[in-house]
Amino acid sequence: MEEYAATQLRAEPHKGDPQGLPLMVEAIDITKTFGDFKALDNINLMFKGGEIHCLAGENGSGKSTLVKVISGIYTPDKGTIVVNGRNYSSITPVQSMHEGIQVIYQDLSLFEHMSVAENIAIGKLRETNQRLVNWPQIYEIAAEQLSRIGVNLDLRQELREASISTKQLTAICRALAMDAKVLFMDEPTTALTSREVDRLLAVMSELKKSGLAIIFISHKLDEVFRISDVVTVFRDGRKIGDFPSRDLNQRRLSYYMTGREISYPKYQRTSPDEPSFIELKDLCKKGMYENISLKLRKGDITGCIGLLGSGRTELALSLFGLNRPDSGQILIDGKEVSISSPTTAMDHGIALLPEDRAVQGLFLERSIAVNTTAAVIKQLCSSILGFFDFKKERSAAVDSIKRLKIKTTSEDKLSGELSGGNQQKVVLAKWLLTKPRLFIMDNPTVGIDIGSKSEIYEIAQQLAHQGMAILLLSDELEELTSNCNRIAVFYHGRIIKLLEEDELKDPHTAVFINAAIASGDIAKAQAAAKAARAGAAVQTSAAKEGK
Amino acid sequence: MSFKIARSEGILLAIIAAYCAAVAVINPAFLNIDTLFDLIRTSSRDLILVMGLLLIMLSGGIDISFMAMALVGSYCATWLMMKIGWQSAAVLIPCAMLISTIMGLCNACLVSWLKLPAFIITLGTMNLFHGLMATLVGTRTFGGGILPPSFSAFGSATLFEIEGEYGAVGLTVSIIPVIIVVVLTWFIIYKTMLGRGIVAIGNDENSAIRLGFKPLYLRLFAYGYIGALAGLAGSIYICQVNAVYPDKMIGEELMVVAGAVIGGTSISGGKGKIFGAILGVIIIYLLKSTLIFLGLSASWNNFFVGIILVLSLSFTAWQEKVRNDRHLLFKVESR
Repeated sequence: MEEYAATQLRAEPHKGDPQGLPLMVEAIDITKTFGDFKALDNINLMFKGGEIHCLAGENGSGKSTLVKVISGIYTPDKGTIVVNGRNYSSITPVQSMHEGIQVIYQDLSLFEHMSVAENIAIGKLRETNQRLVNWPQIYEIAAEQLSRIGVNLDLRQELREASISTKQLTAICRALAMDAKVLFMDEPTTALTSREVDRLLAVMSELKKSGLAIIFISHKLDEVFRISDVVTVFRDGRKIGDFPSRDLNQRRLSYYMTGREISYPKYQRTSPDEPSFIELKDLCKKGMYENISLKLRKGDITGCIGLLGSGRTELALSLFGLNRPDSGQILIDGKEVSISSPTTAMDHGIALLPEDRAVQGLFLERSIAVNTTAAVIKQLCSSILGFFDFKKERSAAVDSIKRLKIKTTSEDKLSGELSGGNQQKVVLAKWLLTKPRLFIMDNPTVGIDIGSKSEIYEIAQQLAHQGMAILLLSDELEELTSNCNRIAVFYHGRIIKLLEEDELKDPHTAVFINAAIASGDIAKAQAAAKAARAGAAVQTSAAKEGK
Repeated sequence: MSFKIARSEGILLAIIAAYCAAVAVINPAFLNIDTLFDLIRTSSRDLILVMGLLLIMLSGGIDISFMAMALVGSYCATWLMMKIGWQSAAVLIPCAMLISTIMGLCNACLVSWLKLPAFIITLGTMNLFHGLMATLVGTRTFGGGILPPSFSAFGSATLFEIEGEYGAVGLTVSIIPVIIVVVLTWFIIYKTMLGRGIVAIGNDENSAIRLGFKPLYLRLFAYGYIGALAGLAGSIYICQVNAVYPDKMIGEELMVVAGAVIGGTSISGGKGKIFGAILGVIIIYLLKSTLIFLGLSASWNNFFVGIILVLSLSFTAWQEKVRNDRHLLFKVESR
């Protein structure tokens, strides 16, 4: 298999282009090293107008470095960048911008206290070296770009009041206003809900039709397949190959990215079938969720799926004491409890892994040791005088690193310097030290590469086997179907369906769930699943007849 | 941009109105044109300074050396004029502005090169500027008898006079530089790319750099601007009191910062309004000048300013919390 990948390395890039798409940017023999580390090793790559090109690879594989070389932030050690027929041995950010290369970084680079309109127009005004500001012109530029992507936004809204999806579209419009011809988008869908992702992908294909070259970096493989025409795979600073996305499937792509076969293990509950220890009874919070009843047993991994505003995150926060319910009961071991703060939640053995690990899950500027022990500081103090015991902290951290296989040189390393997957393991380690009975994980694998993803799944399943109950909130259906033994489907603040183990065995459950979260209509979703089942049956029988 | 009174400014206006009404009930003598003219005259210096401070705070920085610049600029200019023998207040102002601008540019360079918090740097330069003046130029006090008569003539000049209850009262001419500075600052902030660039680096410096803004030049302008305004404000002040002391003004800078913050200017940069900053300074001077009508001693002044400052910051923090709770956000922002 390794050999097969090696032949791909030498395979012709998709040169003989039948559609005759114009070449926008070409990277020739680009090499970039940081100290001893070869971030890019002789990379040759072409980006074409009217094409959505995906850069795939694990963290540190070199895809972001390449973007930074082309946009002028890094100077390559060797190689040429050809843009619009001009050769650059190195390009400055300003030159790159003038050539129509625009990068939308993950942080979006927007100005929170300015209006949407000004955020869109300011890049163009700066680029054209205007001295004075003409406000009607700003609104004109903004409206023009929005109409280009067929979206309506409130131009006067202050950006910090806007949703992440609005910010994303604002960033795209700013790039368009600056006459972008080549648009790089770094993980644009990470913080979006599935409906917003749909809108963004639609905008991207609209832009593609107008002739832009769009380069898309994403960890979400399903989106890669939905939108991209070409996928270039990077591994360890080398290019593995360019592949038309119709020739790829998830398995092959992840094999190219990691160099090994990755398959997610399917979770089977093994804990003895005793009654539930946590029970939610008719939990309500006005405007967020209503009549939520749910029983959790030891060893249950309960998946929660639903669109933004479906109530699942709001419910999770309630269980962790951050969003008090208006009415209803939470029973733990048969006794009613009131969870008024995260501290009481922790006392009851509940842990929450937040969605935004950089802001809510970690102290990025602090060491792994400090982070892993942050939730159990009291236990690390000496029993007599109550002074903090640094030896205990260190040994707890070292144990955690071993237990969760956190890749680091030392427990003193800053958590901000770790890769996404290892950062998430630090957050997991922190909560595991509190010995939780219920672990709520809110999108634990967002922005994490495939290799680390399956490790996190393994950890979660292992914990469940040991008797922990896990509530897994996720937007990725595959994540839920392989890890959960039950899935709760949320819609408009209600659990409209709780799928049990037997129902999850049906391969067409995915169709059912997708239809249910979008429409909220169980009957319709069942019909869709039935149709899919019938369609599959027809196909298999047709295949048989064909033989 | 249509002129719209935002909610926070509306609240400040309401507070001012309610407070004035309360004072007027206790002491009807307060409701007099005299009070208003006096307020404008005494607050002229800080109204000019707060415009420069607003621009600095929009850039994401802070400058607490502006009172030192005002003092050093006007003191050195006076000293120089006395040496040479020039007499006109019309020379004093540009001379002081030039000296203070140079100091402001020094601040800009230090902030840009050292990349340390502007608060620490300007705390240092505040003492540095004042110390340099004291050692190189001297610490002599120039009293009313020594200063050129044109100084006091400018300081006490009025645009027009109205026959009031207690004799004629006039509107100070220093309202003209105040208006010019306010309009100029408004123009810079809202009508020039320079101003928008300053707001942009205050919002997010890295993003601004990515768009091609040059923080060094923008800072040179902003810190130079507050320097120039400090020279102007210092000159107006010494003409009004008709004396130049080597140790006055310094120590009053935080009241102006308080005024800007009460007016809704964000400490973390990128956000602030001209009208709000003006109202913030006005409130402070209103409190100061009304103590006498309420029969309170001057020591109550700090107490009142403190209360308003804490209340206005609490209000902003509370608004932020309400918004975050609604969106179920739990991040702590220092705005």
